Amino acid sequence: MSVLERAHRINHRYRAFNHVAEALEAEGGGRLAGVVVSVKDNVCVKGMPSTAGSKVLEGYMPPFDATVVAKCRLEGAAILGKTAQDEFGFGTFNVNTPYSVPLNPRDTERSPGGSSGGAAVVTAVADFPHLAIAESTGGSISCPASFCGVVGVTPTYGRTSRWGLIDYANSLDKIGCMGRTVRDAALLLSVISGPDRYDSTVLHAQVEDYVAQAGEPVEGLRVGVPREYFGEGVDQGVSDVVWGGVKRLEDQGAEVREVSLPFTRYSLSSYYIIAMAEASTNLAKYCGLRYGLHLPLEGSFDEYFSAVRSVGFGDEAKRRIILGTYARMAGYRDAYYLKALKVRTRVIEDFRRVYRDVDVLAAPSMPVVAPRFDEIAELEPIQHYMMDILTVAPNLAGVPMVSVPCGESDGMPVGLHVMADYLGEGDMIRAAAAVEAS
Amino acid sequence: MVRRVAEAARLSLTDEELERYEQQLKVILEAFRMLDEVDTEGVEPSFHPIELEDVLREDKASKWVWDPLANSMHKEDGYFRGPRIQ
Amino acid sequence: MEATIGLEVHVRLRTESKLFCGCSTETVGAEPNMNTCPICLGYPGSKPKVNRKAVEHGVRVAKALNCGLAPMVRFSRKSYFYPDMPKNYQITQYEVPLAEGGYLSVNGRRIRIRRVHLEEDPARLVHVGGDITSSRYNLIDYNRSGVPLAEIVTEPDIGDTKEARLFLEKLGVMLDHLGVYDPHAEGTLRVDANVSVDGGSRVEVKNVTGFRNVEKALNFEVVRQRSMAGMGIEVSRETRHFDAETGSTSSLRRKEQEEDYGYIIEPDLVKINLRPEWVQEIVATMPELPDQRMTRLTKQYGISGFQAAVIVEAGLEMSLFYEECCRLHGDAETVANWLVTYLLKSLNYMGLSLRESGVKPETFVELLTLIDEGVISERTAKELIKDYAASGESPRRIVEEKGLALMGVDELRAVIGEVVSENPKAAEDYLGGTGKASEYLVGQVLRRVRARADPNTVRKIIMDMLESSGDMPR
Repeated sequence: MSVLERAHRINHRYRAFNHVAEALEAEGGGRLAGVVVSVKDNVCVKGMPSTAGSKVLEGYMPPFDATVVAKCRLEGAAILGKTAQDEFGFGTFNVNTPYSVPLNPRDTERSPGGSSGGAAVVTAVADFPHLAIAESTGGSISCPASFCGVVGVTPTYGRTSRWGLIDYANSLDKIGCMGRTVRDAALLLSVISGPDRYDSTVLHAQVEDYVAQAGEPVEGLRVGVPREYFGEGVDQGVSDVVWGGVKRLEDQGAEVREVSLPFTRYSLSSYYIIAMAEASTNLAKYCGLRYGLHLPLEGSFDEYFSAVRSVGFGDEAKRRIILGTYARMAGYRDAYYLKALKVRTRVIEDFRRVYRDVDVLAAPSMPVVAPRFDEIAELEPIQHYMMDILTVAPNLAGVPMVSVPCGESDGMPVGLHVMADYLGEGDMIRAAAAVEAS
Repeated sequence: MVRRVAEAARLSLTDEELERYEQQLKVILEAFRMLDEVDTEGVEPSFHPIELEDVLREDKASKWVWDPLANSMHKEDGYFRGPRIQ
Repeated sequence: MEATIGLEVHVRLRTESKLFCGCSTETVGAEPNMNTCPICLGYPGSKPKVNRKAVEHGVRVAKALNCGLAPMVRFSRKSYFYPDMPKNYQITQYEVPLAEGGYLSVNGRRIRIRRVHLEEDPARLVHVGGDITSSRYNLIDYNRSGVPLAEIVTEPDIGDTKEARLFLEKLGVMLDHLGVYDPHAEGTLRVDANVSVDGGSRVEVKNVTGFRNVEKALNFEVVRQRSMAGMGIEVSRETRHFDAETGSTSSLRRKEQEEDYGYIIEPDLVKINLRPEWVQEIVATMPELPDQRMTRLTKQYGISGFQAAVIVEAGLEMSLFYEECCRLHGDAETVANWLVTYLLKSLNYMGLSLRESGVKPETFVELLTLIDEGVISERTAKELIKDYAASGESPRRIVEEKGLALMGVDELRAVIGEVVSENPKAAEDYLGGTGKASEYLVGQVLRRVRARADPNTVRKIIMDMLESSGDMPR
């Protein structure tokens, strides 16, 4: 069976794709020769429909490749297709979308996690050389990686270019990658990292050889375990498995100590306010005029725009637009938008302070294993948000992180979250590989 | 509140949606209020995780070769068609 | 004061590329939507990047208006929905504008400038089947979208409509001299005017293009508000649209709530430091400002302050024209006299700009040389200048074609001799003491020679001739 046929089979069984390529086109050799790369649907691929999981971008054909996609192509990769996601990244279980809701390959009654659910699924089951481009705003790489038992890398904010990324929240979005092993993910990370003249927020630091870091010894590596990331709110089974992983690091010579990130409990609110405020402006452009969903052109512009947007956006998108708009309205702006930005400074200070004493942090990626779809359906929106408690702080601070499979609880994968300082991808890859190997 | 904000954001909600969101958003906003506990006196807001600065582009014209209307259904004689103002 | 007026002036800055993308700002003659890219069209996935030159132009404007420059600037998103908005938010500067607290002197009064900031232009709307309030649908051209604008906001210091117009004209000359805007291109300066009368509500008239229209719109508004107040009707606080055809303003139907722009800092852009070294560099390369130029012209060329003012206020190209003519001709005063008193008058009368007229320094100097060499009389020149201003044609050629050259003395004498002999009675009358007779003779000669002789010369020759040929000197 050809790769495409296998991809279709994966799609048929697990509904991981919003679009499978019609043909695989690769040019030249390079570090990704012979590899196919799947791309999360909010990252633009020229000539492939890019919907970001939303009906409002139905049929949208980008006129350009995202920079990260172009980099993959230059290294000889073929683009396999666009993977399913929560609409615009709004979700933790990949259920918020009118398109495919992917299924967790370990247990198809359970969610694969979100918002990069499709990417994690394909990574988990592909029986051909495959790497996934994914994206995280508040934990959308770590969560599905953890739930599906694969490796998910979220680089430092600005390490990868956001040119071609359909925005959720511009100061929080990061394009990252998934692979079955740490080495695999590190390879893709090396390829997609680096400066880009089209993105003003990109970092100009040297891109290291991340693959080389995997396999380096962790002797003397200082590992901090933040006390706020264990205990209440985190499932005991998950906690135990992750502790096991931390112990194994210690057995390999790492120095483990407890640390504290006191502003952790405020990071959820701070994150959501900032993310929604930015998102509500990013989504304003979808009004049925230039791309995506169109309706017959009738009525005043207020009427037409409202009609398109009401049909095109799902529930969660509407809620976030409303909340985000509210958070920046005159009279509320100081209490919400500005306050959240100041709390963010506090959260960042937490990390900066802690990294004076340790090289990486280790904690569970998610507080639970993948929940069942019927359980998810019972949850209120606020409960969805609270699932992000372990990922939002590092995402808010823009530090790099990797979720590496660490064991199982209740028969489902558990991910260990290694978080490093800004541009500390090398250290975290080293630690993650050590967990993987042990 | 929801009706007013939704209108500002050009979302026309059904009565059912209005009621449901009103209730859900109240809970969420209540949760956000925990930020009031944080002392942010004298703290600068962080617009980005890392303070980046001075990224500028040289003033040179270049042409992007493409079809800007390709993704639109509403067009006429090279223009985009848009709805009337009132 | 007649009214309380504040202006928000939007100036299209003269750069090669747009504010946030590399598309050309040259939109004249371009097919709709052909000067666009995913950035200025607000395509998902696109990101802006700031044009350095636009910031430099902004700094120049701020400095010329005596404003305090911010040490660093950020951009903001101003959210509102409209068909001409590619992203339904405009990238502008709200929290941290480029400059604040300046002034521009108009007729000895200082009009205070509240702020100067940079922002992007929206697209151009073509209303089909009506105007803004009645069109069936619109056509949208994004060529203009993303062009850099400087927004200059005044305090409500302007006291009447004439002052508003003077302010704008002076501002226009200033910006022209700075080289940051093109006064000849269409629509490069748009004004939103805020006006209230006798402490009544403030009314905003949006998007008025051109100085004359602003004056008209303001005049209409002042009259409207005054008469409403006179009838005891309350003037509602609202936004109105100006119709250049009818010269009137009309209400744009407003929603119940005021637009809340929900500003956030633009997260796709980073802060720009206006470092002292950079600002110094910009200031050092700033062109001469109008007031400086006026002073220099009087000193360097010895012309009067009035003449210098007229030349400078006529625009940058007029100043450059004047100086080039001085260089070619050599006599600065003569050039100034003929330029200010006659050429400018003709151009203004015909409503032509220098550029439109085709007048060039070389040909103007040619005209002056013809006078210097005595080829034509000053009186002829004054007439000739009208044709010249309209066509820009070489004066020498006009003189040839129309036979305007002064005739030689001998030829003139011959003609005069003929006229005198044809009019013996007038000659007698003259010798008899009737001064008017000589004028009659002069008139007769002139009718025959037209422009080819100077009246004074004719008069002199007639008198010589008659007195020498006649009996006794008087």
